[in-house]
Amino acid sequence: MAAIAIRIVAYAALAYLALPLVVLLGASVTATSYLSFPPRGVTLAWYGRMLDDPSYLSAFATSSLLAAAATLAAVLLAIPAALAIARDRFPGRRLIAAILMSPLILPHVVLGTALLQYGTMIGLTRSFGALLVGHIVIIMPFVLRAVLPQLNEEQRSLEEASADLGAGPLATFFFVTLPQIRSGVVSGAMFAFISSWINVELSIFNTTAELTTIPVKLFNYVQYSVDPIIAAVSSITILAAAAAIILLDLTLGLEVLSERR
Amino acid sequence: MRAPLRKILLLLGAAVLFFAAFFLAPMLVVAIASVTDADGNVSFASYARILLDRYHWDVLWTTFRIGALTTAATMLIGYPLAWYLVRIVRFAHWRRACIIMLVVPLFTSNIVRSFGWMVLLGRNGLVNDALVGAGLIERPLRFLGTELGIEIGLVYILLPFMVLSIGNALAKVDPLLEQASADLGASPSATFRTITFPLSLPGLMAGTVMVFMLAVSAYVTPALLSGGRITVFSMLIFQQYGSLFDFHYGGALSITMLVLTLALIALAARIGEARGI
Repeated sequence: MAAIAIRIVAYAALAYLALPLVVLLGASVTATSYLSFPPRGVTLAWYGRMLDDPSYLSAFATSSLLAAAATLAAVLLAIPAALAIARDRFPGRRLIAAILMSPLILPHVVLGTALLQYGTMIGLTRSFGALLVGHIVIIMPFVLRAVLPQLNEEQRSLEEASADLGAGPLATFFFVTLPQIRSGVVSGAMFAFISSWINVELSIFNTTAELTTIPVKLFNYVQYSVDPIIAAVSSITILAAAAAIILLDLTLGLEVLSERR
Repeated sequence: MRAPLRKILLLLGAAVLFFAAFFLAPMLVVAIASVTDADGNVSFASYARILLDRYHWDVLWTTFRIGALTTAATMLIGYPLAWYLVRIVRFAHWRRACIIMLVVPLFTSNIVRSFGWMVLLGRNGLVNDALVGAGLIERPLRFLGTELGIEIGLVYILLPFMVLSIGNALAKVDPLLEQASADLGASPSATFRTITFPLSLPGLMAGTVMVFMLAVSAYVTPALLSGGRITVFSMLIFQQYGSLFDFHYGGALSITMLVLTLALIALAARIGEARGI
């Protein structure tokens, strides 16, 4: 009896999760000039219209470049920091770890406005650099959080062995340490990339008409009018997300919610 | 082991400097702006303006009411879904499909997801069509521009966080404990009440804190689904920084929001500790 009730709630919840995305995918192929679901007729014309508009392509390019650059920087900052935090004992270690992780629990609105005000003071606003520093701050904790649990004391003896055999610190890192934390780096970087790609709250203060990201462009557009082109742009981001997850599942395996038995 | 200072500086230096320059310094600037006036003198006028004004309290009340209802709804929907995914689904392909359905929304922008609800909840949207078609209502209901509409959108956006958090805790419960309970004669519901549910509480708690924090600080979803009829606290902050540029008042709004959310998180953690979670 209880099991049936749980199933019903679960199916309803899954439908609820899928519904808005399915609706957008459907509305993006409607042959009508307004959003319609279920779609009336099937056409890819709206995708064509999107491709004809260079501003969408440039927003996609900005978003991708921004996410890639921010992720690269976040990985380069987070891995050495994780090594120090996980392996060494020094005064202030917990405080530093807490500060580096705190953007995870800080409202993005607060951080975005703080960066705008600070950027105004130091002359870093409405530019790629201004977008980049904000994104690095909010996504670095994802990498740190994914890498930290994978570092342990046992690896140290392998690293010492490597050093004893004559490998330099860099060679030891790349051939001994990195392979052991690879899955953490990849999943952390993936989450970092996505978090940058979908961000609005931070980006919105530093975008201009020429320099804008896809989520901000969608946000500004959707507030005033909605049409099937916007549904097409949204659908591209949904399909990209689905592709990223399937890729993640095939390479690393989505090890979520698996029961230990 | 105590490592040489030079090595630690080398490893941590870049990250710490970056965070000092682009995280701590901006937050400090906001904090200072919030307690000064336009001439640079120390002044708590901005806080007085917020705390002594009925309007701000109304907005805070709306924000936290929406946050609390959203959190309660994600719990009630999230627990059965997490249970289903961890305990009931056995068919591997369907399980994988469910997990993908759960995670894809997380990888999609809030804008896109809220936009989906704008389409669904409109006067001629699918939800109204279905309700009218089923004979449950005579005329289309207004969802956009109501708190219910915002809550439907927020619950949708935050549900995956709750499910993952509860699900991870449920997956860690040792099945031997439940077996022992059953062997000793406890009914399934007694085993759930006394063994399984308490053991899943840390996950429920973590999910609750996260969902509540994200719900009260959300901007995009309320902005799109409120239709300009309902104001939540994050919108006040956006107005100051996006168009009015009063950094003193805006800073005080930011700090107020930060302090309130962190205080509630600390409170939740204290309650959790007191219960031994």
